[in-house]
Amino acid sequence: MKFIIQRDRLVQSVQDVMKAVTSRTTIPILTGIKIVASEEGVTLTGSDSDISIESFIPKEEDGDEIVEIKQAGAIVLQAKFFSEIVKKLPTDSVEISVENHLQTVIRSGKSEFNLNGLDAEEYPHLPQVEEENVFKIPTDLLKAMVRQTVFAVSTSETRPILTGVNWKVENGTLTCIATDSHRLALRKAQIETNASESYNVVIPGKSLSELSKILDDNNDLIDIVITENQVLFKAEHLLFFSRLLEGNYPDTSRLIPSDSKTDVVVNTKEFLQAIDRASLLAKEGRNNVVKLSTIDGGVIEISSNTPEIGKVVEEVQSKSVEGEELKISFSAKFMMDALKALEGSEITISFTGAMRPFIIKPLNDESILQLILPVRTY
Amino acid sequence: MGKTWEQLEAIQPVVLKMFKNSIEKDRLAHAYLFEGMKGTGKREASMLLAKSRFCLKPLDGYVPCETCSNCKRINSGNHPDVHILEPDGHSIKKSQIQSLQEEFSKTGVESKRKLYVIVHADRMTVNAANSLLKFLEEPHSETTAVLITEQSQQMLPTILSRCQAISFKPLSPAEMIQQLKNNGVDPAQAPLLAQITNNLNEALQYSSDDWFVQAQKIVLKLYEVVKKNPLEAMVALQEDWFLHFKEKEQIDRGLDLLLLIFKDLLYIQLGKQDQVVHLNERNRLEQFALQSSTKRLTEQMTAVLEAKRKLQANMNPQLLMEQLVLKLQEGSSFV
Repeated sequence: MKFIIQRDRLVQSVQDVMKAVTSRTTIPILTGIKIVASEEGVTLTGSDSDISIESFIPKEEDGDEIVEIKQAGAIVLQAKFFSEIVKKLPTDSVEISVENHLQTVIRSGKSEFNLNGLDAEEYPHLPQVEEENVFKIPTDLLKAMVRQTVFAVSTSETRPILTGVNWKVENGTLTCIATDSHRLALRKAQIETNASESYNVVIPGKSLSELSKILDDNNDLIDIVITENQVLFKAEHLLFFSRLLEGNYPDTSRLIPSDSKTDVVVNTKEFLQAIDRASLLAKEGRNNVVKLSTIDGGVIEISSNTPEIGKVVEEVQSKSVEGEELKISFSAKFMMDALKALEGSEITISFTGAMRPFIIKPLNDESILQLILPVRTY
Repeated sequence: MGKTWEQLEAIQPVVLKMFKNSIEKDRLAHAYLFEGMKGTGKREASMLLAKSRFCLKPLDGYVPCETCSNCKRINSGNHPDVHILEPDGHSIKKSQIQSLQEEFSKTGVESKRKLYVIVHADRMTVNAANSLLKFLEEPHSETTAVLITEQSQQMLPTILSRCQAISFKPLSPAEMIQQLKNNGVDPAQAPLLAQITNNLNEALQYSSDDWFVQAQKIVLKLYEVVKKNPLEAMVALQEDWFLHFKEKEQIDRGLDLLLLIFKDLLYIQLGKQDQVVHLNERNRLEQFALQSSTKRLTEQMTAVLEAKRKLQANMNPQLLMEQLVLKLQEGSSFV
């Protein structure tokens, strides 16, 4: 293998794939970055076996030559050293060549590094992409969907399946659901697809957070391919693979109440700030509990009482209150997380009794829904 | 490292026959427990099983080809769906089991098949063993677990009951001695080496190891001192023993050698001269045997075994040896 490449493009790609490389891995080869030079360009791959990131540097772009391939081939180089080396090389072009027996020489200007490589055959094989079962979604929408659901995944490993976000694709609609069994976040979106396949997979929450970090903010379309054991997100020159979680996601559709007894419409920002203030004292108590009660004239009262510290009472003027009177307690943290994830200046909260879960939705927007279980207080 | 199917079949024919049948009939159990003495090829067998499961084109449907990328990567420990868990320090911690569980809650990297091997499974802490239980109990369809242990009686019965136990038969000493001789080991040394280890390679290594030759001398010397001049025993410990046996493993070996001396003495007393392993020292040992009683020898052997157990329980080596020497002298004319 031998090629000459522009340093800034290489640095950028190495930084991208480094996000997937961890030092603590039980598989020795995964401490390395795989470099493949082919006729089309250079591909870098980093992986921690949960997620794998592949970055492609084309041979030419907009008529400029970025890589000059002299000989095709593949090698795996120690990620820790390779990333530091390319960052600090003196000139704008870098020559990388594999000499006899995995010995790799990196030349730039007058400096020359000899690195011992590993056999690229040993590197995990990533699934081959089949172009037909692709669906597309704009990057910023994807990032929003991840942001609005991933916070609700469970952090406890007792039920591993809940540490992921359930992605369902049916009739051109993508539904993302995350729950930790105390709250639930649901987001729907239309997707572009030409295949009629339906999928139901669970993607680890950590992988999705990583994904949204690595994607740029723009509205280019991202291709998503779901295979038997991995999911692939494909942006321009960047491939992001993630493993899936094994098992069946619990059926959440029956959790969401369809009718309601009390409906409250409030201004999101005012309500969020009121909850935030009430939680200041609640934080010390168990479960972060605040209490909400409706009083006459469309006013709702938010209060929190921790006997050893003090108490707080605040009234928020709602836009409308319909239905029965209500007193309910819930976790302020869950409520704030949910409110932050919602878009729209006004929200509807639909209660079905003090001991039943309630749902929060933006006004006139059916695509997103947050569900919280109340806390039992006596 | 790593033996081929044929090589392992020569020493563990029953085990490999079983693998062959299970693979051919697609009846592999979800969890196996490999038990057997050190050097009986348990680890090699687990790697073979992994390769048989993952090999792209196995010969006759079950023998790994050793040339495809999966076989190669399993050999070099780089296969992403084969996990080997070894004790972190002295024991297997709960966090290790948890990370394994986390790993296995996800789908495989390359295929749906996954395999994990827990080496020295008896060294799991109680917490670790208990968290493994549920995991063993509800395996995913294509997951295979292999637990390797030298002391299956030290494992939780609840774990044992969830695995299919496979016993690895030790090589018979006579066969081992023959093999050692075939490999050019001094015939006078062979019986001793066969007693010390069950692994041919390890035995061959010892036979050419200066440390081991020296160790034999020191152990024999210690026995003589204890026998003849009890007052000097402590001094001998300081002068020779502790300088030579530094690591825990080494002390363990030393105690093994000491035990063999007592075993020989017992054999001589019982008239089973052909079982004696210290061939070079036979005449001296016969003399010693005359001066001791069977009861005393068994007591002394108990003391050595007790010391071996305490060593595993992390007793201070110096105190351990001093206590042992005092115990070996017990009943002698003075102190």
